[in-house]
Amino acid sequence: MTVLGYVANGLVFSSIIVLGSIGLSLVYSIADFANFAHGDTMTVGAYAALVTFGAVGSLGGAVLGLPYGFFLALFIGVAAGAAVAVVTERLIYEPLSVDSIGLLITSIGVAFVYRAVIQIGFGADFTRFEIGALRPIEWLIPYGIRVTRHDVAIVASAVVLVVGLHLLLQYTDLGRKMRAMADNPTLARVSGIRTRRIRYWTWVIGAGLAAAGGVFLGLFNQLSPRMGFNLLLVIFAAVILGGIGSVYGAMLGGFLIGMINQLTPLLSRLGEVLPLVPDGFGIPIGIEYANAIAFVIMVAVLLARPTGIAGEEAV
Amino acid sequence: MSRDTTSDTDRRTYLSVAGATGLAAFAGCVSTTDTEEDAGGDSDGDGEADAGGEDDAASDDADESTSTESYQIGMVDSLTGSLSAFGERNQRGVELALGRVNEQGIDGRDLELIVEDSESENQGGIAAAQKLVNQDEVPFLIGAVGSGVSLAIYESVTQGTDVVQLSQNSTGLNLTDFPGLLRMSPSGRTQSLALANLIAEDGYDEVAITYVNNDYGQSLTDAFVDAWDGDVVYNTPHDQEQQSYSGIVAEMNDSGADAWLFIAYQAEFTTMVNEVYSSGYEAQFYGADSVSGDSVLANTPEGSMDGMKIVVPSAPVEEANYQTFAADFEAEYGQEPTSWAAYAYDCVINAALAIQAADEFTGAALTDTVRRVSGPEGETVTSFEAASEILADGGGPDDVDYQGVSGPIDFNEAGDPVGFLQILEVQDHEYAGTGFIEG
Repeated sequence: MTVLGYVANGLVFSSIIVLGSIGLSLVYSIADFANFAHGDTMTVGAYAALVTFGAVGSLGGAVLGLPYGFFLALFIGVAAGAAVAVVTERLIYEPLSVDSIGLLITSIGVAFVYRAVIQIGFGADFTRFEIGALRPIEWLIPYGIRVTRHDVAIVASAVVLVVGLHLLLQYTDLGRKMRAMADNPTLARVSGIRTRRIRYWTWVIGAGLAAAGGVFLGLFNQLSPRMGFNLLLVIFAAVILGGIGSVYGAMLGGFLIGMINQLTPLLSRLGEVLPLVPDGFGIPIGIEYANAIAFVIMVAVLLARPTGIAGEEAV
Repeated sequence: MSRDTTSDTDRRTYLSVAGATGLAAFAGCVSTTDTEEDAGGDSDGDGEADAGGEDDAASDDADESTSTESYQIGMVDSLTGSLSAFGERNQRGVELALGRVNEQGIDGRDLELIVEDSESENQGGIAAAQKLVNQDEVPFLIGAVGSGVSLAIYESVTQGTDVVQLSQNSTGLNLTDFPGLLRMSPSGRTQSLALANLIAEDGYDEVAITYVNNDYGQSLTDAFVDAWDGDVVYNTPHDQEQQSYSGIVAEMNDSGADAWLFIAYQAEFTTMVNEVYSSGYEAQFYGADSVSGDSVLANTPEGSMDGMKIVVPSAPVEEANYQTFAADFEAEYGQEPTSWAAYAYDCVINAALAIQAADEFTGAALTDTVRRVSGPEGETVTSFEAASEILADGGGPDDVDYQGVSGPIDFNEAGDPVGFLQILEVQDHEYAGTGFIEG
């Protein structure tokens, strides 16, 4: 496979990671704890979409190989993820008067509950959306790129969501309040921002994006009760690499980690790929270490820049 | 060893006094974790209580008279724990086999099987085996399911004694290194050999392999590479539960091999097939038994695996004796038997024949006859009844060759049976049996 091919694969995988990492970082910046139930929120979204899609069917036409019904299912999945997160915040995180470590541990418990409920409802076995898999797009194959229209849909949807979030944060009242609250919650409250309401909105946006990531993950790979949890470690790496609490850092970190993960096979043939390196040179490391490599790079970046790429300087 | 025996005695006392409460003391002694103790508690308690009861009655009787009472042998099974599904299948096969044997009787005596639970763990397996060997003094021990448990029992309990140990379900490759430890299920090595031959017969001289990054995947792959004469152009493990294997399939494609071998589990293999399909790669797939399953078929596109060949350990399902067994099994339990039930069934029948053929009911005598009654010499018979008649008419162990429902048995020097494997081919997105291989 050519370099372009690996980059294309990386782009698809990154899109899913980016959607997951934004929500994690957003919730961290405003609710002030690392939410370990985030991965399972992705799973919740994916299964809600699975149920919806099973109920509504394809609804006639299709865009990019995805039936209209799938987009409705995506919407319901996002809504379900957001609703579950808000209810969890209302019933569990908000009434708990513990510090961020206490909330972190609580969120691990919450993650178990989400997963258990899904496992009770759907069994431990894996499944997929009832959407036929596609063959790669023909005219891209000569360039060594083997992606399907579904992959294009994943990347396009992620771009739309990320751009939408950017506009929301920069140009709307809600966005300004969220940024103010992330910067200094006390000051935000004193200046008249209803911080509780902003917290809820943060959960809606963060969990909604995670749920969308989960639905795409289900489309890209398969659905299983552990799907989100299995990705959580990589998402954490992305968020920390980007600078935890920074939404734009999470986007960048998610992109980089996804890319590194998929570009690992190139490490062993660096010579062919890079211009100034002699042919035959390569770092002989197997693809099974892809995640380890991503984490090594994360640690290296943190050593050089302890707050992450886009993180604010330590106070 | 003596310490454990003591704890077993404690447990027995408890059992007779307080029934299932004794379990807690026992479980405490072998230091399992709390959750397992709780989870295993109920069913284990029942099993122990039953076994203990029989054992008490029988050993009391045995003290009084030894000639007309039943022959007692032991079994260590995974009644609880991670392999309890196998244990359940085993027990159905065992019940059916005991029914067959006791319909006929062994020289007028019954066969009695004392079943103990291994909790699917080494520790539990050893404790169960020690109880059977040291207290019940069984000369013949069927056990266990997991390869690690079978080996642990062999090394700490039966090795160096004359007790015969016959594992019902272990397929681990390293059991072959212990000739004193017999097993009824074929070694994973026969699968690797069969795959190597199959791929070579199909005319490929290059193969790309990916295997699941654990003992199972590693040992099967190593055995395959040993047996394979051609080139292995790609050989890389993959971790379980990753969200993408597109790098692996891309590298397999880049390797240039036309034959791809997957020693993977179902979920990971399904992801790979989808990625191969959506990347538009073409190759002839081969797989170990772990890649086959209905959920794989349900979650891969039609036609994405057609022509794939998979080798699975199997009972010879086309043989008449297997079909009789399957029909009886279905009548009794309302479902089709698994190969694992067939292995357990054959363990009991083989043990019963060894007892009948032996001069005396001792480990030394049974060690001698256990291989011979099902070995290749003698008249071929397919049921306990027929074999038992030959022995009753004065035949020796070499006059019968019991053909099991799970295969011809014929233990080799290493204590492994002749493996019976089925080749499945994916046709129209369904598994179709295309032939059998004798290991």
